[in-house]
Amino acid sequence: MMYWIYILIISFLTLVLFIEFFKEEKWINQVALAMVLITFVLRILQIK
Amino acid sequence: MNKKNIVTYSILCVALFIGGMAAHDFLQMHEEDVFKPSATLTKTGRLGDYWQGLKGTSNDSKIFYFDSGKPGATVLLLGGTHPNEPAGFITATVILENVRITKGKAIILPQACESGFTCTDPFEGNPRYFHIKTKSGNRKFRFGSRVANPLDQWPDPLVYTHYPSGSKYSGFESRNLNRSYPGRPDGSFIEQTAYAIMQLIKTGKVDVAFDLHEAAPEIPIINAIVYHEKGEMIALNAVLSLEMEELRYKPELSPKNFRGLSHREWGDNTDVIPFLMETSNPIQGRLRGKTDEELILKGISPRYKEALESGALNIEYLPSGEPLKRRVGRHLAGFKAILEAYNEEYPEKQALLENLPDYSDLMEKGVGAFLN
Repeated sequence: MMYWIYILIISFLTLVLFIEFFKEEKWINQVALAMVLITFVLRILQIK
Repeated sequence: MNKKNIVTYSILCVALFIGGMAAHDFLQMHEEDVFKPSATLTKTGRLGDYWQGLKGTSNDSKIFYFDSGKPGATVLLLGGTHPNEPAGFITATVILENVRITKGKAIILPQACESGFTCTDPFEGNPRYFHIKTKSGNRKFRFGSRVANPLDQWPDPLVYTHYPSGSKYSGFESRNLNRSYPGRPDGSFIEQTAYAIMQLIKTGKVDVAFDLHEAAPEIPIINAIVYHEKGEMIALNAVLSLEMEELRYKPELSPKNFRGLSHREWGDNTDVIPFLMETSNPIQGRLRGKTDEELILKGISPRYKEALESGALNIEYLPSGEPLKRRVGRHLAGFKAILEAYNEEYPEKQALLENLPDYSDLMEKGVGAFLN
């Protein structure tokens, strides 16, 4: 159960980051957001 | 498409490419290592055969059975309890690829915690693989993590409470197989793994069992044989006979209040006589310096040599290094000596495992000469 709660939390954070990524004006901040997104997406997909 | 959109989608494409490359590398670690058992193999199985909860999971580890067809003792050998301790599972591999059993049975799990082989420990910079040259070519083995992959058991608690003793360990240890015995069927992933191994010991009517490990040169229990009190005479006889071969092993009695470990829980909860062995592995140590495949295979660390020569640290490290062949040779010598001592103690119920290389064979020809 705990596992699925964490997956829900990380999925929500990924969605928020994804929206922020498209809203962000500075490219340098977009790079930082993309780096975080990579790790989050890999975790949701159960790869890392 | 305006300039901002071009930048956004370009960054997204680069991130997808990097993510894809990383995913490919991570997924590669889920490919199982290849074992080439000796011709005397009777059958293979999986840990899931002993507890259905493990079927199809990362810890549905391979089991190799060797049955002489003659009555005698049943020997269990575990390698890969900690996948970052390669001498343990390489010794188990050497045994399963060479053994000829003439009395009793042998059950070998070369990678007991297979989940730990699918990732490495964070922040350690460890290599993911190492290669051994054999007569059939270069063979690749995974170098994994001390504990199970967080993908299989996540998140870690802040404090891990061992079942059933209530002993407290750091949260990281909740994924450590050798802190989880005797385990439970409705417990965490690693507790279920421990439970399956306990079921294997009970239903397989195992008489004597081995768990092969390694540790950093600065750890006090190293180059040691850890024994449960019911195996004291066997362990001490083995240490004496190893002294005759000029191989020093520290006999260490399993502490009664150090719970969750194989040498304690196997002995307390089943009829088996358990032994755990440790060798000195520089890649696990804090002083190791450059961390690469060479360090696994040759075990040469200039910083440990410096520490040894300074005399400031009590470490088990030879000035020439601690190569894999020496560590595997020590495990093999210890395994054979303990089994011999067991056979002397229980002449009516012996296990005879033949065609296993000696310490001197390993030192002379290397590990690869004894892998198929």
